Amino acid sequence: MDDLRKTSRMKRTLSHMGSAVVRDKVGTAGFALLLMIILMSVFGPIWFPLDTESDPDKLLHPPSSEHILGTDHLGRDIWAQIVSGGRELLVLALLTASIAVAIGIVLGSFSALVRGKFDEIMVFLADVWLTIPRFPLLVVLSGFFRLDSVTLAVVLAVLSWAGLFRTIRAEVLSLKKRDYIEAAFMLDLPMMHVIFREILPNMMGFIAANFTLLMRAAIYAQVGLVFLGLLPLDQNWGVMINVAWNQGVIYNPNAIWFLLAPTIVICLLILSLVWISRSLEEVFNPSLRK
Amino acid sequence: MQKDMLVFAAKKLMKVVFTVWVVTTLIFFLIRLMPSNPIERYIQNLVVQYGMTYEEASSRASSLFALDLEASLFVQYIDYLSSAVRLDFGTSFLSPGVQVTQIIAARLPWTLFTVGMGLVLSFIIGIVLGALAAYRRESWYEPLISGTSSFLSAVPDFLIAIFLILLFGVFTWGGRGSIIPIFQLRGTYGPGVTPGWNAPFIRSVIGHGFVPILTYFFSQIGIWVLLMKGSTSGCLNSDYAQIARARGLRPAKILKSYIGRNAMLPIATEFAMRLGFIIGGSLIIEQLFVYQGLGLELLNATSNRDYPLMQAIFLVMTIAIVLSNLFAELLYGVLDPRIRHGGGKQDG
Amino acid sequence: MSPDDWILDIQNLFIDYRTKRGNLHAVHDASLRIRPGESVAVIGESGCGKTTLAASIVKMLPLNADIRSGSITYKPRKGKSVSIHSSSEQTMRTLRWSEIVMMFQASQSSFNPVTKIYTQFLDTARAHRMKLTSQQVLKRSRELLELVYLNGDAVLNSYPHELSGGMKQRTLIALSLLLDPQLIILDEPTTALDLITQKRILLLLNSLRKSHNFSMIFITHDLGIVTQLADRVVTMYAGAVVEDSPSSEFFADPKHPYSVGLLRAIPKLNAAFEHLYSIPGSTPDLVRRIDGCLFSPRCEHSHDRCLREVPQLRSVGGHRLAACHLYEEVTV
Repeated sequence: MDDLRKTSRMKRTLSHMGSAVVRDKVGTAGFALLLMIILMSVFGPIWFPLDTESDPDKLLHPPSSEHILGTDHLGRDIWAQIVSGGRELLVLALLTASIAVAIGIVLGSFSALVRGKFDEIMVFLADVWLTIPRFPLLVVLSGFFRLDSVTLAVVLAVLSWAGLFRTIRAEVLSLKKRDYIEAAFMLDLPMMHVIFREILPNMMGFIAANFTLLMRAAIYAQVGLVFLGLLPLDQNWGVMINVAWNQGVIYNPNAIWFLLAPTIVICLLILSLVWISRSLEEVFNPSLRK
Repeated sequence: MQKDMLVFAAKKLMKVVFTVWVVTTLIFFLIRLMPSNPIERYIQNLVVQYGMTYEEASSRASSLFALDLEASLFVQYIDYLSSAVRLDFGTSFLSPGVQVTQIIAARLPWTLFTVGMGLVLSFIIGIVLGALAAYRRESWYEPLISGTSSFLSAVPDFLIAIFLILLFGVFTWGGRGSIIPIFQLRGTYGPGVTPGWNAPFIRSVIGHGFVPILTYFFSQIGIWVLLMKGSTSGCLNSDYAQIARARGLRPAKILKSYIGRNAMLPIATEFAMRLGFIIGGSLIIEQLFVYQGLGLELLNATSNRDYPLMQAIFLVMTIAIVLSNLFAELLYGVLDPRIRHGGGKQDG
Repeated sequence: MSPDDWILDIQNLFIDYRTKRGNLHAVHDASLRIRPGESVAVIGESGCGKTTLAASIVKMLPLNADIRSGSITYKPRKGKSVSIHSSSEQTMRTLRWSEIVMMFQASQSSFNPVTKIYTQFLDTARAHRMKLTSQQVLKRSRELLELVYLNGDAVLNSYPHELSGGMKQRTLIALSLLLDPQLIILDEPTTALDLITQKRILLLLNSLRKSHNFSMIFITHDLGIVTQLADRVVTMYAGAVVEDSPSSEFFADPKHPYSVGLLRAIPKLNAAFEHLYSIPGSTPDLVRRIDGCLFSPRCEHSHDRCLREVPQLRSVGGHRLAACHLYEEVTV
C-alpha cells in the first residue's frame, strides 16, 4: 500500500515533469540536444573509430570530404575524436552529480528534519564553505594531490556539498510544513523512511534541476583543469582544446576546427544542460514563470 | 535601530574572521601534514641535490617558510597564524628572497583592471538591458535580449574567450588581416613600451586588455540582464507598484522610488558579492591570454610547487570574497529595512 | 437621496482579454449604477469578471485587456461628469485616489517595503498637488490614522514590515481617506486577515462610510460580509450582471437562479457535511460563448427560450433587477 502510493506519486511527478518540459520549447530543445550528444557519444565510436596511428602526410589539414573536420597535428581525423571525446566527460559529470546530490539530500534533509544545534552548525559551515573560491581551490589541491578524472569527480562532488545542502535544506523545511509529512512524523515513522518515501518523491523536479546544474559545473571544472594541464590527458573534448591550443592552432587558420569543434560541442552540451534545468525550474517553481 | 545595525555588523564580522581562520588553517595543515608534505619534500630535495645535512636543509626551509621546524606543530601553527595576520607570507620559493606580498602587489593591478572593467561594464549595460526587457515585455527585441542573455550566461567563460580570440585575432575578414594582431592577444602590454604614464604604454595596455575585458563582459552580462529582468518584472507586478499607480502617482515617480529602488536591492547585493571575484579573476582566461594577473600567477605557482606563493594568493582570493560578501550583507542591511531588523516580523 | 442620483454609471460594458485561444469576454454586457453614499457588494464565482469590472472603473486593466464597447461615467462632487472609458491616462491619474480609490487584492503588501509609511502618505498628497505643506499633510495623516485606532506617530515612522496585517490594512484605509474620495472600491479587502480582524475592519469601514460620506463597492466571496455591510447586492455571472437587489430582499428572496444557487451553497452550521450544496456544472467557457443564457446549462429552470435568447437585465419589481427569462411576465 505504502509502496504503491510512493510509486504512483513518483510516477505522477515524473510524468508531470516530462509533459511540462516537453511543452516548454527551451526544455524540448535542451533534451533533444542532450539526447543527440549522448547518442553520438554512445554509438558514434562504432562507425567512426579513432585513428590510432598518425599520418605525417596530412598534418593539420582543413576539412575535406575524407575528414569532415580536418585532421589534427598528428594527421588523425578530428570528427572521430569529437565522437569519442564526450563519453568520458558525460560519465564523470553523471558520477559527480550523483554523488553530490546524494550528499546534499542526506545532509540537507537530515539537517532540516533534526534542526537544533546540528542544523545551526551545518548552516554556518555551509556559509563559510561557500565563500571559498572553488576553482582556485581545485588548482591548489592539484598542487598537493595527483588528481585523476575519477578522483576529481569525487572531489568535485564533495566540494560542492554546501550549495546543494542549503537548497535542499530550505526545500525540505518548506515541505515539512505540509500535512502528510507532519502526519508521517506523528505516526513515528523512521527518519530514513520519511526522507526517502515521503520527502524525496516530492522533490524530484527540484533535484533534477540541480542535478543538471551540477553536471554543468562538473564539466566546467573537468574541461578547465584539463585545459590548464592539471589533469592527466585522456581522450576528451577538453584535452582536444588543450592539445590544439598548445599546438598553436590559432596561428594556423587551416586547422581551426581542431580547436573550434570541441569548443562548440562543449558549448552545446552545457547549453543543453542549462536549458533543461531552466525549464525544470520553471515547471516546478511557478513563481519564476513570467 | 543604530544598535540593531551594530549587532548585525558584529555578527557578520565574526563570520568573516572565522572563515579566514578556517581557510588559513586548512592551508597550514595541507602543507604541514600531507604524507609527502611540500616542506619535507623541499628538505629532502636540498639534501639530495645539494648534499646538505638534514639540519642545514631544515633550517634553510624554516627561514624560507618563516617556520620554526624544531618547534612543536602547535607552536608552528600559532607562528604561522600570527605572521598571516601581519600579512607576512614569507618569500617565494621560485625566486628566493622576493617577498610573496611583493609578487602579489605586482600582479594584482592587472587582474583588477581587466576583471573590474568587465564587471562594471557588464553591470551597467546589463541592468539597462534587463530593465528594458522587463518594461517592454511585448516588444520585438525583448526575446532577443533575453535569449542572448540566457545563451551567454550558460556558456563557460573560457569558451567565450576562445571564440573571441578566434573572432578578433585569427579569422581574416574579407581579405584583410584579423581585427587585432594575434600577438596583442598575449600578455599585458607589448614589448618596447616603458611602463608609466605615457601614451604608447597606455595604448598598449588597452590594446592587450581589450579582448580579456570583452570576455569578462560577455561572460557576465547575461547574468545581469536576467537578474535585472526578473527582479524588475517582479517589482512591476508587485502590489505596492499597483497601489502606487492607483494612488495616482506619476509613472516616473513609481519607476524611481517604488520599482527601481526595490528592483536594485538584489542586484546591488550581487554586484557587491562579485567584487570579491575581481581579485581571483579567471585562471583559465588569464592563461588563455597569457595575461600576467593573479590567476596566472597562482597557476604558475602551482605548477612550480611554489607553496608560499600558492597559499598567499589563495588566501588573498578567499579574503577578497569573504570581505565582499560582508560588504554585500551590510549593503543589503542599509538598503533593505527588513534585513536590518533581523529578518522582519511575521505578519499575522 | 433620489434613486436617479448617481456618482458612477456603467452601461452595457464589454471587456475582452486577448489570449492565445482567442478573445476572452471577461465582462459581457454589464450595467451597474452606484448612488452617493451607498455600499454595494459584488458577488459571484472566481472568473466571473468582478475584478475586471472593478479595475475598469479606474482604468487599471491588464495590458491584454480592451474595453470593446459600453460606457463608464463618473460624476465628481464638483464639476462635470467624466467619461472614464474614453479618458486619457493623464485624466485618470488625477481621478485615482482623489476621487476613486481602488484597493486591490492582497493589500498586505500595498506599501513600498523600503520606505517608511509617512513617505507614502506624502507621495500621495504630492501626486495630487494638495495645497498643504508637508507638516499639514502629516498632521492630517496622523488624524486619519487615529481615526482607524492606530498610533499615528508610531505608524508614520514605521516601515511596512513593522506593522501587523491588520495594522497595514487599517493604514491603507487611512491613506485612502487622505484625499477625501467619493468612491472606494475594495477587491477582496480582507481575505489575508483572520476572521475577527476582518470583521473589525469592515465595521470600521462602514462607520467611516457614514461619517465621511463616500460610496463603497466591495467584491467578495464571503456572503457573511455582505449581509453586514451592503445596501445592495450585485450578482455577476460570466461577465454579466444577472441580479441587482437591495441586500435584505436579496437574502430573503433571491431572484436569479444563480443567486439562489449561491445562497444555497453557504454552509449552514446545522447542516451535515454531506448535504453541502454546490451549483451543478462548471463555470462557462468565456472564449467560446454559447448562444442564449450562459447559466442555462447549469440551471434547473432552463427551457427552450433560454437556449436561444440572452435574457436582458430588467426590473423584476421594486428596486430589483434580474436577467432571467423566468421573470418575463413581471413588468414595471
